[in-house]
Amino acid sequence: MEIPESTLLNKSRQHADEETLAALVSQYAGTLYRVAFSVLRNAADAEDAVQEAFLRVLRHRDTLGEVRDQRVWLIRIVWNIVLDRKRRAKTRPETDDVAELARVLQSDGLSAEQIASAAQHHAHVLAQVERLPAKEREVLMLSAFEELNSVEIAEVLGITESSVRSRLFRARNLMADLLQHTRS
Amino acid sequence: MKIPDSKTSRNDSTSAEDTLRLIANLPAPAGLEDRIHTGLLAHARSSQRAGRVLAWPATSTAGSAWMRSAAAAAIVFVVAGGGWGVYSRVQQPQAAKMIVMPHVSAPGEFTNAGAMRTPKTLSGPVLVQPATVKAAQAKPATKAAAKPTQPSTAKSTAKAAVQPTVPAAK
Repeated sequence: MEIPESTLLNKSRQHADEETLAALVSQYAGTLYRVAFSVLRNAADAEDAVQEAFLRVLRHRDTLGEVRDQRVWLIRIVWNIVLDRKRRAKTRPETDDVAELARVLQSDGLSAEQIASAAQHHAHVLAQVERLPAKEREVLMLSAFEELNSVEIAEVLGITESSVRSRLFRARNLMADLLQHTRS
Repeated sequence: MKIPDSKTSRNDSTSAEDTLRLIANLPAPAGLEDRIHTGLLAHARSSQRAGRVLAWPATSTAGSAWMRSAAAAAIVFVVAGGGWGVYSRVQQPQAAKMIVMPHVSAPGEFTNAGAMRTPKTLSGPVLVQPATVKAAQAKPATKAAAKPTQPSTAKSTAKAAVQPTVPAAK
């Protein structure tokens, strides 16, 4: 029985797509997870978000060749997913709980008291971050990722680089005010 | 885990960024890639099963060409036969035997002035006579009813007897 050429082409293309996707998963799953976790602060939710992001990639695999920077493209996808989920759920992040934060943030050679104190501090800071306006908060959170520069943050958020800088400046000032106010 | 040190001169915003950086640099859980890859494969398989499309022209071989042409002929036969059946059963509307022209009034003749339809005139309200008049009329009637009717009937019969018969012919 003769197998038509189009079938072979389809199969080879599908195989290539699968290989590309597998490579993307192994290369960027960790980064995407960290981006998702920084917003959702819940391990299971973050993993779900990464899964959903790759499912979207699978659906639009035909456009993979047109993507200039796959890393930024993937981060943008997962960023939109997590923001959407957070907006819909409107639940408090899990790590607002001090005990949970202490569990998530691994510690080496610290006493229980020190761990509790540090967790409390981080929980307080994260609570203040949540009080920031959305635009400033988003830029501040993305700026925490070492692998993203201001140009890439601008690409992820769909704004200009100068906007990123001005928002980051505002976010830092607001954050300082908030923390100073709560301390006083 | 980093511990916030109050003795250091770092400002508050830097401290906040440190916390965010700490969260951002958390390692991904072990086996994340494998789980995602497995999930993607499962999804791909399920979507293939759900939306299977027959690659009909591609899968057919040369030996089944006569079968394809026979199927095409059968489809054409069924469609044409059905169409002919419907055409033969439906009666065509008969053409008009005579042409009736609209009535055009001759000059000097009365027309309806272009009016297509004249509405019916509404009947007016029925007048009711006042009660006092009715009462006044009712009294003589009762008196008349009380009198004996015999004389009047006798007069009328007498008149009828006196009147001569009139011939019908002019």
